[in-house]
Amino acid sequence: MSAFVAPRRSLLVLQALILLTALSQQRVADARDLDALDVSIAVFDPGVPADASVHRDLQVFPRIREIEARLLPFVLRDTLGKANAWGAVRVVPEPDIAAELLVSGTIIRSDGESLELEIRAVDASGRVWLDKTFAGPHGSRQLYDDIAQDLLITRDGLDDKFLADIAEISLLRYANQLAPSAFGDYLNTAADGTFTVQRLPANNDPMLDRIERIRGTEYVITDTVDERFQQLHGEIASIYDLWREYRAKVIKYQIQDARRAQSTRSDAPRGSYEALLILYENYKSDRIIAQEQDRLAVAFNNEVGPKVDAMELRVAELEGWVDQKYAEWHRLLEELFEAETTFGQ
Amino acid sequence: MKRNGIILVLCLSVTACSQQPVIDAAMMRFEGAMPADFGGSWERNYALDDDVNAVLREAYYRISQTSADQRYSVRPGTAIASSKDMSSVLALARLAEMITRPDVLTISQNAYEISVARKDDFAMTCAFYDGVAKGIDSVYGTEICGWDGEQLVSNLILPDGLQVTHRFTISADGEQLRVVTTVSSSTSRIPFTLRRFYTRFDRPTSFFNCIETLSMKRVCSTGEIEP
Repeated sequence: MSAFVAPRRSLLVLQALILLTALSQQRVADARDLDALDVSIAVFDPGVPADASVHRDLQVFPRIREIEARLLPFVLRDTLGKANAWGAVRVVPEPDIAAELLVSGTIIRSDGESLELEIRAVDASGRVWLDKTFAGPHGSRQLYDDIAQDLLITRDGLDDKFLADIAEISLLRYANQLAPSAFGDYLNTAADGTFTVQRLPANNDPMLDRIERIRGTEYVITDTVDERFQQLHGEIASIYDLWREYRAKVIKYQIQDARRAQSTRSDAPRGSYEALLILYENYKSDRIIAQEQDRLAVAFNNEVGPKVDAMELRVAELEGWVDQKYAEWHRLLEELFEAETTFGQ
Repeated sequence: MKRNGIILVLCLSVTACSQQPVIDAAMMRFEGAMPADFGGSWERNYALDDDVNAVLREAYYRISQTSADQRYSVRPGTAIASSKDMSSVLALARLAEMITRPDVLTISQNAYEISVARKDDFAMTCAFYDGVAKGIDSVYGTEICGWDGEQLVSNLILPDGLQVTHRFTISADGEQLRVVTTVSSSTSRIPFTLRRFYTRFDRPTSFFNCIETLSMKRVCSTGEIEP
């Protein structure tokens, strides 16, 4: 008898502990500022045309665009962070569809002078907050301030109930990905792809508790990846600034060269050596400027490439670990749900 | 040789010969690997080069043979070139001589691009994507390449009908390179062509390994440098 009672006591203690943890988590959830949604910013789409033959004409340097796609989200992250109006703001390697607010972007144009980004923000319910192109001088914070401002305006237009639903839907979508058997019927999906809450799990649902703990673990990894990106940003930001300066100079040279070409249309007789030489020199000068820019792109990549490669390798390792664990968690949760719902049947 | 003769006759008979496309659609595509490999460093072999003055004299003679202007005839039945024709071809000759002046060519070639670096000039670039030539367009001109068998042909089309064509041929043993440069213009009745010859050479291996960087410019090391 005593041998039976002892484990039962410890089970009660464990249950009490879990209950206390759950209650404390519930308190944290209740105390959470509904406005302060968590924001995930996915690494941008570099916007490199698939047809490599047009890159030269469009002045697109694919490798540098890939690096920019990793760097620019950080500027947005810093801007949103400084606004102090959001929860955790993270840069994530892949779009997280269950994020409370997912911001994704495509680089439309990026030269030393101007930057054009297509930004889309969608909350967990599928509501599109923003789908707009922002343009401005490269290096200026104004463009990011504009994005942040637009996001805030959209958020301020939503009521507390809707914001609370976003957080709920986010968690339920995440739960549905991990344990579809347990969380498959909590959400309604409308024809337009938006989600609404059909019903909520009980506050003390042990499956939901597990899901929240797993999500917490995944956030730790995401934050580690984010730190890696931040570290990379710190290492290469100054070199990237140099690249932007050089590109801006190249554009200036091109403008000056066009003026020079215009002004050197001499009065030399048509077909004379002087007239032919001017035609040749105009082309030559234009090409030399373009080729100097190509040389700078290679120099930039020589310097930054190894750092980016090392970071990508580390992030891939972390992501691989998460994917592996995710599959494991998925299997365990499905098994647990099966065991818990069929027990005694 | 006979073919060249036919082309020459055709050119002389058609005033606007210089406006004919040098590279046709068939020349702009190839299948598989590039037909020839020009990669390496090449130094000028002056002994084999054309003498500009000799080629110019020949050009004057050719003009005189077809000149309709008999005013400058020195003897009955023989026409010589008008001063306008002569100055037009002289302008082309001077430009051709200026363009072909570099004594070293550094050619880099990979699966889709050939770049010919020349001192004091832009690097001539031939880009091929999936075996199809991709020209370089700017407001100042268009550069396009093609293959004529194993010959690489680069054609630069500039305003006012000015064209510069380079035809690269490598010897069977890969040690000699011939570059035939033709400059033509709508202002000249005949084009001007110069041949330049180059011999392959190996650049001395440096004790240092160097790479270009943006913040530190050229960085050299005695060990390995990872780009």
